Amino acid sequence: MIRIRRAAILLLVAIALSGLFAGKLAPYPYDRQDRQAIDAPPDSKFVMGTDDVGRDRFSRLLWATGVSALLAPAAALCSIAIALMVSSLTALGRPALNYSIDGFTTICLSLPWIFLFIILRSELPLGTGAAAVIATTFGLMGVAGWPVPARVFTASIAEIRQSGWLMQARAAGISAPRIAIRYAWPHLRSLAMAQFYILIPAYVLAEASLGLLGLGVPDPIPSWGNLLVDLQHPDIVRANPWVLAPLGLLIIVMICLEILAPQKEVAL
Amino acid sequence: MKVRGKLMRGLAGAVLNLVPVVLIGGFLSAALVRYSPGFDVDENDWNPQISAATRAALHAERESENHLPSFYLNYLRAALHGNFGKSDHYKLPVSELLADRAGATLELVITGTLSGLLFGGVLAWFAVWPRRTILAVAAAGVSGLLLAIPPAVLALEFFQRDAWVEMALALAVVPRVFGSMRAILTEFAASSALLAARARGLGAFALAMRYVFRPALPRLATLAGVALVLAFGLAIPVESLCDVNGVGNLAWHAATARDLPLLCGLALIITSIVAVVQSLASLAGEPTTNP
Repeated sequence: MIRIRRAAILLLVAIALSGLFAGKLAPYPYDRQDRQAIDAPPDSKFVMGTDDVGRDRFSRLLWATGVSALLAPAAALCSIAIALMVSSLTALGRPALNYSIDGFTTICLSLPWIFLFIILRSELPLGTGAAAVIATTFGLMGVAGWPVPARVFTASIAEIRQSGWLMQARAAGISAPRIAIRYAWPHLRSLAMAQFYILIPAYVLAEASLGLLGLGVPDPIPSWGNLLVDLQHPDIVRANPWVLAPLGLLIIVMICLEILAPQKEVAL
Repeated sequence: MKVRGKLMRGLAGAVLNLVPVVLIGGFLSAALVRYSPGFDVDENDWNPQISAATRAALHAERESENHLPSFYLNYLRAALHGNFGKSDHYKLPVSELLADRAGATLELVITGTLSGLLFGGVLAWFAVWPRRTILAVAAAGVSGLLLAIPPAVLALEFFQRDAWVEMALALAVVPRVFGSMRAILTEFAASSALLAARARGLGAFALAMRYVFRPALPRLATLAGVALVLAFGLAIPVESLCDVNGVGNLAWHAATARDLPLLCGLALIITSIVAVVQSLASLAGEPTTNP
């Protein structure tokens, strides 16, 4: 199992690096159109062929990897940061505050975020720039995803508050900030990492589904989601099977992330 | 009496949970409609027969009505009477649009969820009951593979093959319930009561029904509630891509047409449904129903 995990890490690092250095590795810019080579099949010039406006599929895939594989962890980090901030308030030990946080978390868990997401997404003015849309898309995912990790952190903080070592630390006169940073944080850190690994695949998939619906990253900036749009046309897939490359890459990344993620179950 | 008291407390808790969820969902919806672009635009502004003073008076009147708290109260009051506003895109009342499409979504979501739970249960059963590592790994592999495929792609594949689209939703639900089902089964399959019954020579079917399925029922009911809520979210890409004339498809059209009154009405209704389903599911999961 350790070997499989190492292989998954290596593969993910390689994919992330190819996305990060897409500018250097891609033979063409993601938006460069060759009007003489529309829907061209793979050849020596375009290794994966071109799309319906003559853009190189391979270059766009590399750029899309940069967008999807790097922004999903950023959104996950945002969720974890919000969850840690909210749940750390329960460490103050005020019952009314704890009750309010618990209630608010329950309410946020009950909200149909996909609906709120598409409402907010459709609220964006039509002239909004692509960068702002990308930031909004992944930012909203980050904001919407905090309640589940917050539940986990709150439960862990409650356990820590009951622990013997905390009482001993308090009795020894160690200040609250020092206890939090020096002693409590190492306990929470592993949980935060676990939640981080769980959220990344969820956000990668969410972006892919939204992109396929035309509600994700807007053209011409490529993402795995908007590259999957071509799957809606079976004739394009039959003519050039490389159209499936983004899906293949997405599945490989998802499987690697699943191998690395801790076992997760729907909270009952 | 004790069980009844617990049940009543559970019901009270569910209602207490439901009310703020609906109120907050309603507030978010109302705020979005109120601050949507073009909300303040009045067609009278372009009417040359109306004087500037009249226009100003009309604006002042609208402003007092459109102050967020009073707008929210009016919105909620109308929603309680089944009036969720009128769709900008379809030019029809939201409630009418919803009534037309609710049946298709309910059919899709319920069939998809139940089939997903059934497939997930069978997969979890293979992973736990025969106690064979190869089967456990294979079941986890199938679930992992299904989780790696975006639900929208699954939906597209089924649609292009003219297959049963409910199956796409079911396959999207399977990996999302598999882990929990496996955990529940593992717990009950290792119980001392089951081991004792097995030692007494009870048949596999009787063992499964009496010592696994029956005691696990409350938790499975909770899981079904969670899966149903998940399926509502998954229904949006499935309906949109498979051209199912349901609420998810309506939401997608509303989003692409920037039809905020429709989206907000949908969000409020779906929030209420989700809150009710979650409350019922958590009530079903209370040990009072199966002591």
